[in-house]
Amino acid sequence: MELLNLYQNNYLIVFVFLCLGVILPVVALFLGKLLRPYKPSEAKYTTYESGIEPFHDSRVQFNVRYYIFALMFVIFDVETVFLYPWAVAYDNLGIFALIEMTIFVFMLIIGLVYAWKKKVLKWI
Amino acid sequence: MSGVPASAFLSLALILFCIGLYGALTKRNTVIVLVSIELMLNAVNINLVTFSKYGMMPNITGQVFALFAMSVAAAEAAVGLAILFALYRNKKSVNIDEMDAMKN
Amino acid sequence: MELEQLLDFKWSIMTPEFIILGVATLLSILDLFMPKSMDRKILGWIGVAGIAAATVSLAGFIDEPVTSILFDTFRLDSFAKAFKFILLIGSLFVLLLAISFEKKDGLAEFAGEFYYLFLTALLGAMFMASSGDLITLFIGLELLTISSWVLVGVTKRNKKSNESAMKYVINGGISTAITLFGLSYIYGLTGTTNIKDMSGTLMTMGGSQNQLYLLAIAFFMTLVGLSFKLATAPFHMWAPDVYEGAPTPVTAFLSIVSKTAGFVIIVRIFVSIFGSVPATGAQDALPMLLHLQDYIGFLAGATMIIGNVIALRQRNIKRMFAYSSIAHAGYILVAFTSMSYFTFDAIWFYLLAYLFMNVGAFAIIQLVGAKAGSDDISAYAGLYRRAPILAVTFAVLILSLAGIPGTAGFIGKLNIFMGAFATEPAHYVLASILIATSVVSYFYYFGIMTQMFFRPAADDSKFNIPVALLVVLIGSVVGTIALGILPNIAFDFLHDNFMQFKDFLQ
Repeated sequence: MELLNLYQNNYLIVFVFLCLGVILPVVALFLGKLLRPYKPSEAKYTTYESGIEPFHDSRVQFNVRYYIFALMFVIFDVETVFLYPWAVAYDNLGIFALIEMTIFVFMLIIGLVYAWKKKVLKWI
Repeated sequence: MSGVPASAFLSLALILFCIGLYGALTKRNTVIVLVSIELMLNAVNINLVTFSKYGMMPNITGQVFALFAMSVAAAEAAVGLAILFALYRNKKSVNIDEMDAMKN
Repeated sequence: MELEQLLDFKWSIMTPEFIILGVATLLSILDLFMPKSMDRKILGWIGVAGIAAATVSLAGFIDEPVTSILFDTFRLDSFAKAFKFILLIGSLFVLLLAISFEKKDGLAEFAGEFYYLFLTALLGAMFMASSGDLITLFIGLELLTISSWVLVGVTKRNKKSNESAMKYVINGGISTAITLFGLSYIYGLTGTTNIKDMSGTLMTMGGSQNQLYLLAIAFFMTLVGLSFKLATAPFHMWAPDVYEGAPTPVTAFLSIVSKTAGFVIIVRIFVSIFGSVPATGAQDALPMLLHLQDYIGFLAGATMIIGNVIALRQRNIKRMFAYSSIAHAGYILVAFTSMSYFTFDAIWFYLLAYLFMNVGAFAIIQLVGAKAGSDDISAYAGLYRRAPILAVTFAVLILSLAGIPGTAGFIGKLNIFMGAFATEPAHYVLASILIATSVVSYFYYFGIMTQMFFRPAADDSKFNIPVALLVVLIGSVVGTIALGILPNIAFDFLHDNFMQFKDFLQ
């Protein structure tokens, strides 16, 4: 029971922060509305782009190549998950893990060669 | 930290899993469906790590399992996105409800 | 862990897996460095040779006692051996289909991948068959699943193929997550991922009500997740679309190897984990598996009914075979539900029979589909006039799928049927659904036969059958008839070598 109370008390702090987070913008915007003058005109309603006239759609499509790179990154990035614990515990694991990791890295290299041969690494 | 009971983590995982399942079953955009599936898999990871620390018989195996689950989840996401990519090139749409070329 | 310990392991029992892994690696390197103009078929033949070598090396271990290496994560027991034979033979036939598959819709560019991804998927399935640990089981399952996702979508300029691959990814991803969530609870309750230790822990646990409750949740989540993989109702919805959109060899792979692997994992997990938990607190209570057997039975019944009834109104032959494969999964689930003395034998025999009859049928579907340019059932009109031998072959395979006496399918169904009565209490309802739905299935199977024998042909062009396809056809027909007339070949093989799978839990 003691633990549970402590646990719930921790959430009280979260709750206080939540309230603060909600109240702050509400109060700030409300005060701003009270204090500012209200004089709308046509020019004020145009899109603001650093003083330059807006000239194309605001949605920009990224080059498709980025996604392929991202996919490559995801795969090779996650493999670190296996390398990292191995590196940390290297002294205890010994030669067995070293051989396993060599095979593992060899397989990864095949993957890299595959990507290279399929011209994924080249920016067209 | 030590004051948090294991049941809190387990409920967190359960809630995450349910949010993921709900998202996977209801969303229209395939990317969001894939994200929801990732959410479900991450809920599993929370479960495994919790059991590995606070379980009936705490041991490291759960964390090892979580590592494998993570890498498999990444492989799943990569293959899923690549297939979505091929689909988008042919169809110019990623909406699930437009994938209806095969009806009997 | 030192080098001596590493060398102490009996690595030789992994030889079949090493061969498959080596061949897959070799093929991927060869494919990358071969000149573009060269025909990739040679890679397919290397793959066939690799699978054949693995089968031979597996046959060499047939008398090997139960061995396990790597701290019991990899075990070679008779269950593993028996099912690996089915997986290997199935993949061998499927790879032969793949070699003679017409490479279009952008497949020509990826012909190399097309061959070696079958091998990696097979590797995953083989690891599942002989894993003694949840982690290796899971990795094997995912290796199989992810490879088959890529295979389904490999014809990437074909909209249907893309779409079916996407559906497979979404369904597969959800099912993986659900299965894994169930498995994580089992891990939490036992504190180990080793299947043998798990069953030991659970047996002595006794268990408070809460733990049993959690275990039952784990049971249902795992069951639901794996039901997706087996495509049993009500989780079968992906199967028809995926089967229709995928290239035909891949469809054959899904319906044979993937399905076998699904049953392997379901037997491994459920029999060894839930088969040993007392369902109530008392030590002498019924195991949980038997206690919750009705739910699996319900799944089996629903699967048989839905599969067979919906197949009646299919015009596309691949969709029809998808529903038929759903129904066959239902038949096998009946054997799994009854959990009699013969269950393992019945499942093994049925999967073997199903392998032969289905792979032959898909060979003909591939041949006719490529010729006619569509998978509509009307493409089979007048097949008897155009190619009598082909039509008769297809007829034999269909009769076997329908379960007519004299074919392997009949013996398989008979085994399952007898098994349903061998337990106490007997499963009368399931057995009668099995019979009734088999009768329903005659309608659509005989619909194809009517097209072949009694409808006029649209054109009179002849078929030229590639060598690889011919091998598959001969092998499947011989297998179907031999197992139908002399089923004792298979059963003697099973009894002489595998001793009723007694070492499954040891």
